[in-house]
Amino acid sequence: MPTDWTPAALSDDIPAASAAPGQLGPHDLAIWRSASGRIAAWADRCPHRGMRLSHGYVRGERLSCIYHGWGYGEGGQCVRIPAHPELTPPEAIKVPVFRAVEASGVIWVAVEAPEAPPPEFPGFEAFRSLQVKAAPEALAGALGGSGLVVEAALGGATVVALIQPLRDGAVGLHLLAPEALGAAELDALSVAAEALRRRVEEGVTA
Amino acid sequence: MILYDYILSPSCYRVRLMAALIGRRLDLRPVDFHPGQEHLSEPMLALNPAGTIPVLQDDGLVLTESTAILTYLAAHDAPAWLGEDTPAMRARVAQWLAFAQRLTDSAGAARAHDMLLAEGEIAALRGQATQALRELEAALSAARRRGEGFLAGNRPTIADIACFPHVALAPDGGLPLDPYPSIRLWMRAIRALDGFIEMPGIHRLHELKPEPGPMPEVIRKEKA
Repeated sequence: MPTDWTPAALSDDIPAASAAPGQLGPHDLAIWRSASGRIAAWADRCPHRGMRLSHGYVRGERLSCIYHGWGYGEGGQCVRIPAHPELTPPEAIKVPVFRAVEASGVIWVAVEAPEAPPPEFPGFEAFRSLQVKAAPEALAGALGGSGLVVEAALGGATVVALIQPLRDGAVGLHLLAPEALGAAELDALSVAAEALRRRVEEGVTA
Repeated sequence: MILYDYILSPSCYRVRLMAALIGRRLDLRPVDFHPGQEHLSEPMLALNPAGTIPVLQDDGLVLTESTAILTYLAAHDAPAWLGEDTPAMRARVAQWLAFAQRLTDSAGAARAHDMLLAEGEIAALRGQATQALRELEAALSAARRRGEGFLAGNRPTIADIACFPHVALAPDGGLPLDPYPSIRLWMRAIRALDGFIEMPGIHRLHELKPEPGPMPEVIRKEKA
């Protein structure tokens, strides 16, 4: 279980009033942003019937389950059960909550708040998240580095690669690009990232 | 216009969705595709020897390819859905219509294998579908960088409608969409369109509707 912050998604990929699935070690996450812009990472399981909350919908400051509409607010507390509109849901109906903060356009998650805030990367901005079927070490090695944060040359640019271990033999690759790149340079970087993924995945199967 | 239709078919849903978005009423004729195999019955083969659905009939015209049907509906009622009338944009739309067939043959075949017991080499189908989904994700992320939310420019076209169903239903074929953030946002944009309709497995955006209020007094009394 990671004790530090784990990069789970890019801020731009989860706009206001939307939810997306994510992972943190063995945990499935529902990462969602309220209408006012607050980010949160919860267990991806509705306490009612176990439906994935990342399939749910956001109204205002609440995330609701797609299955029966149970609505959850601050701290994962159930605040509305549509089939019993006059019932105040018991306090025990609560979604487990994880830590989630944003820095440098990246959404970082943790089980318990680490002592230090997540790293900042001045001069870089979030570019793309890709999933790669490979081990973290294989991806870091292909980028010419090691560990889960690698500064690398890719597609003619210097990028920051944040590597997120995922289950089932996959990793998340969250790429940050230099702020000043133009559209054509970013396209070239995207092509280079796809080529990197092909190389790494071929190495795995070879 | 008569549509020979099967509720669980993503290709039929393409046509129903397109018609709903442009306000075209269709005369639906349900075909018992599974388990009845009615698409292979003599009357259906007389209409379409290829034995596929959907089939659209209108004024003596019989169309059996769903992307051709989308082209017909848009040209008939709402030409803006064909894409901007420039050589490049018309070609881009045509590219994506052909890509939609790749989705049918990979993600669609994987779903048919898993849900309707169709034959197929499932690992190979999922591999081809993953390749197609990665291409789509890359294209949509590039579109987002240019401030465009759809496959062929800034407005939805038949290209989006052709690709949407098999992508949205890919998880039914063992292809999770979790790794594709730009695809997720694109699907949201399509589901947010005026006139959007559902099919089993593809739901609308509940948040676009006002929250249902408390149940009326009379119903509560009946329940009590």
